[in-house]
Amino acid sequence: MKGHGLLTRRHLLAGVGAGIGCGLLPAQAAPGQTRFAPLAEEEALIAFGHVGPITDGGWTTAHELGIQKMKRVFPKLRTIYVETVPYSADATRIFRQFVAEGAQMVIATSNYGDFIKDVADRAPDVAFLECDGTRVTDNLGWYYITHWYASYIIGVAAGLMTKTNRLGYVGTFPVPSVIASANATLLGAQSVNPACTMNVISINSWFDPQAATQAASALADSGCDFLCGITDDPAYLRVAQARGLKAAMWNLDMRRFGPDSYVSSVVLDFSHFYIEQVRARLTGQWKAAGTFLTLGHGVDRDVWGATVPPEIAARADAVRDRILAGETPFRGPIRDASGRIRVAAGEIMDDQAIYQWDWAVQGMTGLV
Amino acid sequence: MIVLLTGLLSTAVLAGGVLALAAQGEVLAERVGVVDLGVEGLMALGAATAVLVDMKTVNPWLGLLAAMAVGSAGGAVFALATVIMRASQILCGLAMTFLGLGLSATIGHSVAGMPVAATFAPVAIPVLRDIPVIGPAFFGQNLLVIPIYVLLPAVCQWMLFHTRHGLNLRAVGENPAAADAVGIPVTKFRFLYVVIGAALAGGAGAYLSLAVTPSWSEGMVSGRGWIAVALVIFAGWRPFNAAGAGLLFGLVSAIGYLGQAQNWPIAAPVLNMLPYLGTLAFIIVPVVLWKKMRRLMAAPAALGVPYDRSER
Repeated sequence: MKGHGLLTRRHLLAGVGAGIGCGLLPAQAAPGQTRFAPLAEEEALIAFGHVGPITDGGWTTAHELGIQKMKRVFPKLRTIYVETVPYSADATRIFRQFVAEGAQMVIATSNYGDFIKDVADRAPDVAFLECDGTRVTDNLGWYYITHWYASYIIGVAAGLMTKTNRLGYVGTFPVPSVIASANATLLGAQSVNPACTMNVISINSWFDPQAATQAASALADSGCDFLCGITDDPAYLRVAQARGLKAAMWNLDMRRFGPDSYVSSVVLDFSHFYIEQVRARLTGQWKAAGTFLTLGHGVDRDVWGATVPPEIAARADAVRDRILAGETPFRGPIRDASGRIRVAAGEIMDDQAIYQWDWAVQGMTGLV
Repeated sequence: MIVLLTGLLSTAVLAGGVLALAAQGEVLAERVGVVDLGVEGLMALGAATAVLVDMKTVNPWLGLLAAMAVGSAGGAVFALATVIMRASQILCGLAMTFLGLGLSATIGHSVAGMPVAATFAPVAIPVLRDIPVIGPAFFGQNLLVIPIYVLLPAVCQWMLFHTRHGLNLRAVGENPAAADAVGIPVTKFRFLYVVIGAALAGGAGAYLSLAVTPSWSEGMVSGRGWIAVALVIFAGWRPFNAAGAGLLFGLVSAIGYLGQAQNWPIAAPVLNMLPYLGTLAFIIVPVVLWKKMRRLMAAPAALGVPYDRSER
């Protein structure tokens, strides 16, 4: 367990004492307030459980950057975090430890399902948030980014930039967030270049640079000239750079790993969400809910890479403007990989439907 | 087709080098009768050290040297426990793995996920580079490929099977009591070759983080150390076989990815299993079909047994 800044073991123990003290006070819920009593900034302790190391350069780093910005808004706030929380009963132990140390709010930056819900159920006075979660109880909410809009915009650029009309996707596991990401990119590409197809290779890991390198090389050898994916590391961008291809990334700006290949990235910014949630908890207004961080508010395409021609960037950004104005590109007819119409003409796939996407669109191979 | 084959072999050579180098080190350690299960941890330690030194000096060769030095230091600790103190090799190896994984995550925290300053970049060797398929794969990549696949195995093979020193070395692994009786310094031999093997494991980590990926991140070795240990068995404890086994394993895993990219009508999970199915097949089939293999491919007789002179 590590503290941000100068948090030492002594502070931590003091925090435990303070937490127990707080727990003994009777809850004073004023009318119109939730049962999460208001807190002074200096007595609040917020705990974060991360799925990877905060230096992974991807998903967890993106969360850590958001937390750092949040801490600048609440400088007296104390935070603690644990890295690389496994998806196992150990997660339960770690979340329970957070509660025992007096955390009034626990935020898991990935999906921990029952492992977090069990702890939340036994600590009704603690606010819980789970990224990529699905369930909402009295004190457990979830949040997620609607990354599919950013992927769609990048897909438009991909469709205009590919010469072979074959996009390669370095996938991880066939789970809905990956399926939505790949589908959205391909739909974006097909909207400007209907001949586009996409090959997916699943490497069975969120983080395995060597496997991602091999997968990217195999995609390049098979004629894909535009690589995208959802891994936490920049491995396939390096392959693209070495072989003169284009690549779109995830999580953060990664152009320094392949300046001549970097097109854009699905960039994440959790700072506003964390600031808002912590403020709500401190003022006693926090309520458990499911929250989608929308395009421009937590997720967006990154500033276009130097390799993207201005007219292509402009066309992709025109699509972005239409999405920001409220238009959705996920409108039927959308066919699945076998050609069957899954979303009828005129019908719209809303965010909930995309969040649970479990089939591949036409032109996709290797995804599910 | 030529493009596909070239790409396939290039990926296999690049990725297989990690396993070939680590397996070479394990061959040496096991030939003197010591199973070093710490390879995974030593590789992680080497990978992190290499990146740290590379960032400071902007020289991948110094990174490689430092990784080998740290590998030997880890190997010396392991040898102290297993060869001198005669502790269980299995337990100490596992401890070494966990120690290496944890320590590497700690020391590498500051450089995790960052692009390395200097890498073992591809260098085209004139003339040889122009041989179709094989040229780009072996002579168009980084300068470590030839040492890993040809020079190092050649030196080890010659040393093991064509010198008196090699004969003594193998005697230590087969029957340390007999070796001791004829005056071979068993403890010295074991200590030395465990340390050299560990240095090569550290070097394999450096190759992974400076030539293949190239960058350091926690968890990047992801089980390749264990595969290297398994490959030694498959290679029958022979240097050239170990290098070949690394290449073959790289090839099989590269075929799995190519199959997915080419949309072969085989489920992706099955293609991902290929390397492991392959390992099973390679080990079982020859032994079942060809009785003589059992003796040829047998492990050093004293493998895993601590040598105690007083129990001779």
